[in-house]
Amino acid sequence: NSSYQLSSVPLQILFYVNGIYYIFYFLATLAMIVYKGEVFSYPDDFLAPDLALLFIMAILEVLRLYLGSKGNLTEEEAPLGLSLVITVGSVILSVYFLVWQTYVLKADVIINAVLLFTYGLESVLKVVAIAAFVS
Amino acid sequence: PPETHAAARARTRSGPAPVTDVAKLCVCDLLVAQCDVNCCCDPDCSAADFSLFTTCSVPIVTGDNRLCSQKAAIYSLDVEANPPERIFKLIDQVNPSVFCIHATNYKQALSFSSPEMPTSENFDQLLEQFGSATFSAEPDSWNMNTDAQNPSDANETYRYEYGVPVQTVDAFLRLPSPVVSSWCSDANPAGFLVNQATKCTRSVSVEKCGSIQAVSMLFYINSGILAVNITVQSVVVQSLNGMRTLLNGSDVLRLPMILDELCINIVLGVSYHITYTDAGEIIEAAASFVLGAINKEALSIQQSFEISFTQVNTKPVPLSGNPGYVVGLPIRAGFQPQGYPFPVEILFAAFNTNKYGQLTILQSTSNQDCLAAQGARTPILFGYNMISGCKLRITAAMKCQPLTQTLLDLLKGQSFPEYVASFGNSQAQDVLDWVPITHLHTSEQTMREIYNTFQSSCQIPVSLEIEVKWTKYGSLVNPQARIVNITATTTTTMLKQLPPGRERTIPITSSVVFTDVSSPAEPGYKAWPTINAKLPFDFFFPFV
Repeated sequence: NSSYQLSSVPLQILFYVNGIYYIFYFLATLAMIVYKGEVFSYPDDFLAPDLALLFIMAILEVLRLYLGSKGNLTEEEAPLGLSLVITVGSVILSVYFLVWQTYVLKADVIINAVLLFTYGLESVLKVVAIAAFVS
Repeated sequence: PPETHAAARARTRSGPAPVTDVAKLCVCDLLVAQCDVNCCCDPDCSAADFSLFTTCSVPIVTGDNRLCSQKAAIYSLDVEANPPERIFKLIDQVNPSVFCIHATNYKQALSFSSPEMPTSENFDQLLEQFGSATFSAEPDSWNMNTDAQNPSDANETYRYEYGVPVQTVDAFLRLPSPVVSSWCSDANPAGFLVNQATKCTRSVSVEKCGSIQAVSMLFYINSGILAVNITVQSVVVQSLNGMRTLLNGSDVLRLPMILDELCINIVLGVSYHITYTDAGEIIEAAASFVLGAINKEALSIQQSFEISFTQVNTKPVPLSGNPGYVVGLPIRAGFQPQGYPFPVEILFAAFNTNKYGQLTILQSTSNQDCLAAQGARTPILFGYNMISGCKLRITAAMKCQPLTQTLLDLLKGQSFPEYVASFGNSQAQDVLDWVPITHLHTSEQTMREIYNTFQSSCQIPVSLEIEVKWTKYGSLVNPQARIVNITATTTTTMLKQLPPGRERTIPITSSVVFTDVSSPAEPGYKAWPTINAKLPFDFFFPFV
């Protein structure tokens, strides 16, 4: 009987899993960029934006997970809403790495698809949590 | 015209576009317009050719196999079928690796970049960029627009090298020639700067008069040589009994047609004359035709074909070597025109001895009689020592002076040249490349003997000896023969007056000798380094 607790447990579990998965995603994408730079011709004009966007995505992800986790645990909708907004940015960046990167390998497609799926699920749960907090 | 040449040079030239369609790519298709053996992807091969193959040398043609999914063309031979046939399949090949390239947003990623063609405008910039020992793999212009290169530019002049087949709009300029038997084969391409003359037999009949393409004028001038049309220079009509007449208006195309049970206007001979510039571009092409007629009984005709290349603004002269003389080719000789050296602007086109500008020597005939020799002469070939002669019957009635003149004409020919080309390809304009012929006279008897028999001292020439001194010129690996000196020695003998009724026979000889006077090559060694050690001037100062 946990009607007094509005925090969403599935959302918190998803944040935790997301955090671990993102560490793997970041290291894998970085390693693959290094691999592409060695095997294919990857001039600096194309390498710099890809690396920059990856680091921006990492920063956004840290911020997003922190705000989301804090909002969920303190049952406040403001940080959770902010996290949702940042999720949009992360989705765009993930789509970049899925479609508009210089070289899109099959492994890139797989890990970005999983990330997008996680984001989608998280967004749904956040909206439900915000609705629960507001009402 | 000169302005189009300048415009062509100003445009950045580029290489041919890369072929990316796997169905059209064929690395074993080496012979142009002919079927390569065991090459299953060759478009020139017919089904009959495929039935003779044993294997496919190129079984699969794929693009970059790092892509996740790509097209592949698979060629194989089905040996079970009778006759064996080639199987061509276009499939999608999948790369199972997880690191295969799914997509790329970078256009030049998967192909080699075409290098810029150097022209006079960008040469300095290219030299600065690539002229040192190392250069960066990614130049500044990496994002250069690949659409700026237009490889299929049919108006650009195409430069030829020696032996390359002359391109026409659809294939190559063909010179029909006999292959194994004497029947004409249309697959012989004309090579640039390769003068050819061929004769072959073609089967014809009056019934198929209009339908055999190869006896019609149109077949030979139809395909223009890449922006240069083949013009008709002259048309000669040969009648059934072999008499030839030159036609006046040669711009009318005469096609084979049936007239009075004869098929007229069939091509018996074509002679192509191609004019080229020194940059290797063809600027003019002309064809001269010999047209004939066949009657109902004729089953085959003999066609003769010829092609010759002339450089623009020069008169054609056959070379005897390039640049050094080639053993066996005639020595080129000629005269200097009147007025040399002062009127320099006259082109020395008058360098000609016989029709080909060659030095000639008396040719021995079978009857060995000098006076009946009829002036047969043979050209002197480089490197071949020759000796020839005849026997002169002297009777008492012969006078000295006409006999001397006759013998001189016999030995030296009608127009003995004054200069000989030192190189096989010496042009008439380069006066310093020509060696003057030195003339010497000797006598068989000593001067004292001549002086002693004072009366009737008639000297007649009996022998002409030409000595050609040549040297090896140029690099040690590929020495070129160069003529440095040529001496013509005329030997005379005294003709004693014969008593009437008696006759004498004296031999007249002429010979050519080639002597190699090349000096041996001397190796050049660098000087040993010396130690330049000198004491200063005032080393022993207080004492010296």
